[in-house]
Amino acid sequence: MILLKLISWPYVRQHLPRWLLTIAGIVLGVAVFVGIHTANQSVVYAFHQTVDRIAGSTELQISAGETGFDENVLDRVQAVPEVRVAVPVIEAVVGTGVQGQGNLLILGVDMTGDRSLRDYDLESNGQGGDEGIDDPLVFLAQPDSLMVTDTYARENHLAIGAKVPMSTMDGRKLFTVRGVMKSGGLTSAFGGNLAVMDVYAAQKVFGRGRKFDRIDLAVKDGASIAAVRTKLEALLGPGFQVQEPSARAQQFDTIARVYTLTANVTSVFALFIGMFIIYNTFQIAVTQRRAEIGILRALGATRGQIRTLFLGESVVAGLFGSVLGLLAGIAIARGMTGYIGSLLGEIYGIAQKADEISTNPMLMTFAVVLGVITSVVAALIPAQSAARVDPVQALQKGKYQQLSAGENRARRIAALVVAIAAASCLLLERFRIFFYVGDALAVLAALLLTPTFALWLARALRPLLRWMRPVEGTLAADSLLQAPRRTSGAVAALMLSLALVVALGGLTRASYDSIFGWLKVALNPDLFVSPSQSLTQRDFRFPESMGAQLRAIPGVGDIQMVRDARVLIQGQPTMFVAADITELRKHATLPPVAGDEKEMFRLTAQGKAVLASDNFATLRGFKLGDVVDIPSPSGVLHLPIAGIVTDYSDEQGSLLVDRSLYKRYWNDTTVNIFRIYLARGAAEAEVKRRILEQFGNQRRLFVLTNRDVRRYILRLTDQWFGITYVQIAVAVLVAILGIVNTLTVSITDRRRELGVLQAVGGLRNQIRGTIWLEALAVGTVGVILGLALGALQLYYSLHISAEDMAGLRLSYEYPYPIALMLLPGILAVAFLSAIAPAETAVRGSLVEALEYE
Amino acid sequence: MLELANVGKVFQGKRKVTALENVDLSIGRGEMVSIVGPSGSGKSTLLNLIGGLDTATSGEIEIDGRRLSGLSDDELTRLRRDKIGFIFQFFNLLPTLSCFENVAIPLHLRGWPKKKIEERASELLTLVGLAARREHLPDELSGGERQRCAIARALSVYPPVLLADEPTGNLDTHTGAEILALIRDLHERLGSTVLIVTHDIHVAESCARLVALRDGRIEEDRAGRRAAIIHDPAETH
Amino acid sequence: MNRLSIFCLLFSAFCFLASAQDARQIVAESENRSRSKSQQYEGTLEVIGASNKVSVKRWQYRRIGSYGTSKVILRFTAPAEVKGVALLIVNHTDRASDQWMWTPAIERDRRIAVQDRSTRFFGTDFSFEDLEERDVDQFDYKVAGEDSIDGAACWKIESKPKQSKSSQYTSSLVWVRKDNYVGAQIENYSKEKLIRRIHYSDIQNVSGIWTPRTVEVYDANRKSRTVLKLEKLEYNLPMKDEDFTLEALRRE
Repeated sequence: MILLKLISWPYVRQHLPRWLLTIAGIVLGVAVFVGIHTANQSVVYAFHQTVDRIAGSTELQISAGETGFDENVLDRVQAVPEVRVAVPVIEAVVGTGVQGQGNLLILGVDMTGDRSLRDYDLESNGQGGDEGIDDPLVFLAQPDSLMVTDTYARENHLAIGAKVPMSTMDGRKLFTVRGVMKSGGLTSAFGGNLAVMDVYAAQKVFGRGRKFDRIDLAVKDGASIAAVRTKLEALLGPGFQVQEPSARAQQFDTIARVYTLTANVTSVFALFIGMFIIYNTFQIAVTQRRAEIGILRALGATRGQIRTLFLGESVVAGLFGSVLGLLAGIAIARGMTGYIGSLLGEIYGIAQKADEISTNPMLMTFAVVLGVITSVVAALIPAQSAARVDPVQALQKGKYQQLSAGENRARRIAALVVAIAAASCLLLERFRIFFYVGDALAVLAALLLTPTFALWLARALRPLLRWMRPVEGTLAADSLLQAPRRTSGAVAALMLSLALVVALGGLTRASYDSIFGWLKVALNPDLFVSPSQSLTQRDFRFPESMGAQLRAIPGVGDIQMVRDARVLIQGQPTMFVAADITELRKHATLPPVAGDEKEMFRLTAQGKAVLASDNFATLRGFKLGDVVDIPSPSGVLHLPIAGIVTDYSDEQGSLLVDRSLYKRYWNDTTVNIFRIYLARGAAEAEVKRRILEQFGNQRRLFVLTNRDVRRYILRLTDQWFGITYVQIAVAVLVAILGIVNTLTVSITDRRRELGVLQAVGGLRNQIRGTIWLEALAVGTVGVILGLALGALQLYYSLHISAEDMAGLRLSYEYPYPIALMLLPGILAVAFLSAIAPAETAVRGSLVEALEYE
Repeated sequence: MLELANVGKVFQGKRKVTALENVDLSIGRGEMVSIVGPSGSGKSTLLNLIGGLDTATSGEIEIDGRRLSGLSDDELTRLRRDKIGFIFQFFNLLPTLSCFENVAIPLHLRGWPKKKIEERASELLTLVGLAARREHLPDELSGGERQRCAIARALSVYPPVLLADEPTGNLDTHTGAEILALIRDLHERLGSTVLIVTHDIHVAESCARLVALRDGRIEEDRAGRRAAIIHDPAETH
Repeated sequence: MNRLSIFCLLFSAFCFLASAQDARQIVAESENRSRSKSQQYEGTLEVIGASNKVSVKRWQYRRIGSYGTSKVILRFTAPAEVKGVALLIVNHTDRASDQWMWTPAIERDRRIAVQDRSTRFFGTDFSFEDLEERDVDQFDYKVAGEDSIDGAACWKIESKPKQSKSSQYTSSLVWVRKDNYVGAQIENYSKEKLIRRIHYSDIQNVSGIWTPRTVEVYDANRKSRTVLKLEKLEYNLPMKDEDFTLEALRRE
C-alpha cells in the first residue's frame, strides 16, 4: 500500500491524461453494461409494476394467450365454489389526443365485483360526498364513463365531468371523467396514465365482441391457490392459462431477454477491448519504469512485491474506472429507458410505461467487480514481466528490453494450436457449446497472432511509407516494428472493434436484405386497413362484416382478412396469424423453405395443417411434418407443419393457419387487418379516400398504403437494430481510444528519438508527420486485420443469430460497402486521434528529451 | 564564428536555478575548444544554448553572424541543421535504422534527392571508416563504431560547427582516444569549428583551447597543455 | 328490499296462539300474509350521504309470483342519465337468486355474480343481496325477545342463514309487529358487527295487504341512509311470465 502511494501515485500523476485514457476502456465497458442493463431492467420493472399494481389482490389470472375468450367462461369460473370472486378484464393502450400525454392504459372492469379485488380509493367529489364515481349507476349506464388517476387528472386539468377525446371503433368519441382515483396502489400503474371503464363498454369501444381478455380472481378463505389453479386448469382445458399475476410479467422477461443478450455482448466487448488498452498501458509502464523497478529490486523488493505493486495499481484503476462507468451508465440508462420501453411496447404491444430508472445494487456491484476483474486480468501479464525485470540490466542506461524471438515463436505455436481447436469445433457445430467455444477460440487465435501479423504488415508497409516520406515514413513504420508490444495492443483493440463492426454490419445488412425480399414477395397488398396506426397493436379489432362493406367500395379488388395474436405454444408466446390461405395464395408468393408448395397450401387451407415461419422452426426445433400442439379455448389442436416459409412477422417466430380454423376454435371472428388488393386500373389514393370517406366517421380506422407499411416495418427494424448502432459507436469509440492511447504511449516512449530527430534538423512538421504516419499505419494494420477477422466473425454471428436469437437463415454476404467505408473512416479517425499526441511531441523541451533517462 | 555576449540561463522551477551567468565567449572559425567543469557547472547548458536546443534567458548568441534570439522554432531548426552537427555521449542512433540510414536522416530531412543522399552518406561512412558496416543496425556495432556512425551523421552537410557532448564518455580509454583522433582529424581536414564538452581532463588538454566553467561562470580560458602530444593518434597505439 | 320485511303481512288463521308461536311460524305467517300474485309500484329513492348530499332516483317495480318463485324487473326512470337501466331478479327456493342488469346505452346485459351480491346496489345503501327475496326455509330462527318499534309491540327474532344459503351476513335480527305481522325493522350483522339497519314505516293496507310505504336503509359503515318511498302501489295486476325473462329485460 505504501509502495502504491510512494511509487505509483507520482507516476500516475505525471502521466495523468494517459491514465485517464487507459481507464476509459473500463469506463466505457461498465457504462454500457450498467446503462443497457439498467434501462432494460427499468422497463421490465415498470412492466412488472404495472402488472402488479393492476392485479390488486388478484390471486390468479385466466387468459388464453392474446386471443381473449368468450364471456361464458366467466360464468364457469364463477361457478367454482372455491372462487371467492372472479371478474372480467379488458386491457388496452390507447393514444388520447391529449398533447404530450402519450398513451393511456385503459382497464375495462366490471365495477360491481371488481372492487373486491382492486382498491380504487376514490376521491371525494368536492362537495364532501364520499363517492368518487359521482354516481355509480350513471358510470355504468353511460358507456362514455371514465375513471382516471388523480395524477392524470391533475396533469391534464381534468375535473369530474370533463371530456376526454378518444378514438374508438365507432369513430372519435368524447369520454366523460366520472371518477378520480386517489394516489396509491392502482394509480401508480403505467406511470399513472391509467383509466378505468366498464368492461362491457370497453368491448364495444375496442371492437372485442363478447370476449374478455382476462379473468382476475381470488380464492375463498381457506382454499389453496394451487388447488384452485389445478381445478380451473382441468375445468377450462389447455387453451387457457391460469397463472399468478407475476407469471404474466415473467413472459415479458423472456421477450426482454433477447435485448439483454445483445446488451451483454456489447458490454463484454467493450470491457474486453478495455482490457487490451489497459494491458497495453501497463506493458508500456513496465518498460518505462524498468529503471525504477530495478532500483526497487536493488533496494530489496521481492518479485512478489513488484507484482503486487502493479496489480494494486490495476485494482485502483479498475475501481476508479468502474465507478466512473457506473455514473455514466446511469446517465445512459436515463436516456435509453424510454427508448427501449417504447420499442418493446411497439414491437410486442406490451403495456408498460418506464419513466424512472430502477437501479439494482446487485447489478451495480457486479459491474464494479467486473470492471476491477477486467483491469486486474489485463495487468496480470505486465505485472508478471515487471516482476521478472532483471535489476542489473534494468539499471543499465539506454537499453530497452526487446521482445524475444522465442516469445514470438511460442505465441505463434499457441495460435496454431488454438486455430486448429477452433476449426475442429466447427466440425462439432451442432453442439451449440462447441460452436461458441469455437468462436471464442477463433478470436483468441486472432489475438495471439496479432503481434505477428502486425509485424508483417508493418514490414510490408515500410517501403510504402518510406516512398511517401523517406524519413517520417521510415521512422513511423520502424516505430511499429520496434515495439510490437506497444502497437499490438492497439491493433488488437482496433481489430476486434472493426471485426465487430463488420460482423454486425453484415448481419444487419443481411437482415435488411432478406426483410426487403420478404416485403417484396409476401407483403404485397396495396392497402392495409387497420384499427390502429401501429400494425403490432391489437387492442382494437374490426368486425368481420366490415369485409363485405369494404369489398363493395369501387376499386377494391381482393380482400384478405387477417387476425393475428400471440398464443402460448410450449409455454412461449408465439405469433399466430390467421388468414384466408386461398386468398393469400392468389397474390403473395411464399416460397417454401421446406415442403411442397402446392400441397402445403392445400392442407393449410383445409385447416389440416399449419405453415411455420422459418425462425419458428429453427428456434423451437420443429421440422417439416412435426406436429405442433396448439392450445385453443376449445381444446388442443394437433396440427402438422405442412410447410416452412420465410416470414418476418415476428422475431420469435410465427404460425400461419387458415382463418376458418381460427374462427372455429377460438370462436373469434374479429379482424386485425384487412389487406386490400386494388382492382385493375384503380388508383391507390382514390380508393384510400373512398374507404376513409365511407368509414372515417363511424369507425376508428387507418388506411395504410403498401409504402407506409414498408416504411413502418423498416422503421421497426431500424429501431430493433438501434442497439447495433450503439455497438458500432462503442466499437469506433474504443478504436479511437486505442489509437490515442498507443500514440500517447509511443510518444513518451520515443521522446528521445524525436528529440534526436529535431537535434539533427527535423522541422516540427516533419515530427508531426512521423506521428501522423504512425497513426495511419496503426489504423491501416488494424483495419486490414479487423476486416479479415470480421469476415470470420460474420460467419459466427449469422449462425448465432440464425440458431439462437432470431432464427433467421441469412445468407453470408461480406459487407463491402461497410468495409470500404471503414478504411478511410478509421484512417481519418486515426489521423484525428494523432493530432493531440503530435502536438505534445513537438511542444516538449528538446533538452529534456535528449537527457539520458 | 561563435559569439556569446553576457549569456545567462536561469531555470524557473520551485527554486530558481542559475545555470549560466554573464558568459562572454568568442570562438573563431576552425578553432577546437574543449569545455570542462564539474557536474552542474553549466557546460552542457552552454552547449545546448549554442546548439539552439535551448534558448538563453539573457544575453546574445551569434552563430556565423546570425543572432539566435528572436528566431522561431523552425528558423532555429533550419539554422541548426545548416550550421551545426551534434555528437552525443550515448550516440543517440535510431536503433531500427541501419548505419547508412542513420547517416542519411539529416539529408532526408533537408529533402535532398535520393541519389545525392546515397553519394553523400557513402562518402561520410568512408570518411569515418565505417564503409564496411553500412547495412548494420546500431545494436550490431561496437561502441566506437556507433560513435563513428553518430559523427558521420553529425557531419552530414559538413556543418561549420561540430558540438560534441562527452563524445568519449561512454567508451573505454582506447576507443575514446580513437574517436578523439577522428574528431581532430576531421577538424583538420574539414576545417570545422569543434566544441567538445568533457570532464576527461586528457581530452580537454588535448584541445588547442580549454574553457573551464564553474558555477555557471567561465573560470579559465587558456590553451590546451597536451594539445601537441596527443596530436598524433599513432602514439596511443 | 327484503321481501319479508317490505311486503309482509296478513293475519294468519292458524296462528291463533301468537304468544306461544315459535319463531319460524311467526316468519312464515308474516310471509303468508304478504303473499300476492303480483306487485307493481313506482319507487323514489333518496340517497342521503354522510355529508347530507342527496341524490334522487326513480324506478318502476314489477313483480310476478311470491317469495321463492317470484321474478322482479326493476327499471330506472329518472334521472335521465340512468333511464332504462334495468335489473331482472329471478328468485329460487333452493339457492341464491339470478340477477341480470341491462344497460341500454351499450345494449348489454350483465350477470351479477353471486359473489358480487354483497356490493352496494349502485350508490344506494342496499346491497344486491338485499334485493333478493328471503325464503323462509333458507334460514334458522329463534325468538330473541320482545321489543317495540315506533310504539308497536314486536317479536324480536334472530335469523341465521342455513349452510346452503350464501350470504354476506352471518346473522340478522328481525322485528315483526304482533298486531299485523309486518316486519318493522331488520338489523343485519356480520360477525357481531352491524352492517345495515332497515327500518319500515308508513304501513298501510293496500288491497288487503299491510305494506310499509317507506323503507329506510342505514349503512353503519358509511353512515349514510337511503330512503325508498313506494308510490302507485298495486297488487295482483295481471302479469305474464314472459315479461320477466332476459329477452324481456332487453326489450324496451
